[in-house]
Amino acid sequence: MKINYNFAFFDEGSKREIRRATLKAIAIPGYQVPFASREMPIARGWGTGGLQLTLSLIGKEDVLKVIDQGSDESVNAVNIKKLVKATTGITITGITTEATIIQSRHRIPETPLKEGQILVLQVPLPEPLRYYEPSEYETKKLHAEKEYSGAWLMLFEQIMNYGHMSTGADHPVMVHDRYVMAPSPIPRFDNPKMNCAKALILLGAGREKKIYAVPPYTRVRSLDFEDFLFEAESFQGKSCRQCGATGVYLDEILDDATGKTFYQCNDTGFCMQRLNGKPC
Amino acid sequence: MALDLVHDLQRAYRKTVDSMSRPGLITNIKAQADKVDLEIGCFKSTVVLVQMLFDTEVTFKVVSKREAEITKLLNQLTYAKAAEAQTADFILVLRDAGPFGLEKALIAACPGDLTDPHKSSTIIVEADALSNERDLALAGPGIDAESHIKVQTTGNWVGLRAEKNSEYPLGIEIIFTDSDHNLLCIPRTTQIVKQVVG
Repeated sequence: MKINYNFAFFDEGSKREIRRATLKAIAIPGYQVPFASREMPIARGWGTGGLQLTLSLIGKEDVLKVIDQGSDESVNAVNIKKLVKATTGITITGITTEATIIQSRHRIPETPLKEGQILVLQVPLPEPLRYYEPSEYETKKLHAEKEYSGAWLMLFEQIMNYGHMSTGADHPVMVHDRYVMAPSPIPRFDNPKMNCAKALILLGAGREKKIYAVPPYTRVRSLDFEDFLFEAESFQGKSCRQCGATGVYLDEILDDATGKTFYQCNDTGFCMQRLNGKPC
Repeated sequence: MALDLVHDLQRAYRKTVDSMSRPGLITNIKAQADKVDLEIGCFKSTVVLVQMLFDTEVTFKVVSKREAEITKLLNQLTYAKAAEAQTADFILVLRDAGPFGLEKALIAACPGDLTDPHKSSTIIVEADALSNERDLALAGPGIDAESHIKVQTTGNWVGLRAEKNSEYPLGIEIIFTDSDHNLLCIPRTTQIVKQVVG
């Protein structure tokens, strides 16, 4: 049986509700706007928040890029691309500069985003205060009162225990000097890319039913201390074994046979462009 | 050709997103507004915005000389419910609202509360004309350095808006539209300063 799905899968009522929430999210940078997250044909926690945002935004003229932890071709990215393509017929690309909408799981592309692009980030845990406060009612109150000492205390404890801030990814940020926000599990390397980005960044958490946003040219500061500054992962002296790129986020790959360690661009689209001699 | 409720509204929404995320950016929805074949008594761009955003979950207030008539038509069109300005999700200040229509709407509009700042009003205002002339200077998120606008409408809306938005994150959003179907969005984070010419 061939089912004729609606354009962009959703009924128009669902899009309308997501659109209203998105506009409020853009107006209050970093604030998590609740929305009625729909059942999707992929499991909650697998990018349904990002997917719902993408489907509410997308039109016939759009060009979509989907990345899953830097890769254009891993399972999550491929499935989402197939679903969007099947229900909209739009063009899919792997090239960041060609895309009008970029949906990403856990990375911000190496190629700087430009004005007019929209980056949609998939978020598993949108609440940056959840680590120490299990109650949603309480965390909403903490956000209301701008009571973020717990977030700093969490980082302080990490420094006391490990000698450094041990947030491998999802290092909390302060948006527009008001809301502490989970930037989604992007590596710390990507946090500075959010600050005054040229593109609109939308974040969607399907399971947790939250949408939030960072408009372009908005101040986003990673939480740190005056005497213990935020540090991104360093790849000093390392380069991609395929394209030779430096100053980008690299994957560490261990060759079991030789015991050697290799480094390779995490952003496969960026690496491919360089290998093909094209501008990134 | 009639307004396509899927594709035309999507295009109008993206223009609204562009304008909301870059305050001062004036976008145009003439292509969509020209397809509206309903005579409601407001700009056709307002009808596009209403069809894009209103449904049964939404409450709205119309500020106009023909309030009762237009309220009924919008209710029939979208199933959105009429409410008082103090509680309405959207307040529509139409062009025939009179000199104090926008001012009254701004005073009455709900700014949300600290736990739910998103439960605040969005005011859709029909202005005489919108442009990027150097009349008002905008600053804030979404604006690289500075942006300028000129909104031809009546009343001291700049001062009243600043007062309403003084306790961020509480505040209201304003979407201006005009007879050329331009769109201009001013979210609560935008600071407006009157440009002094001299």
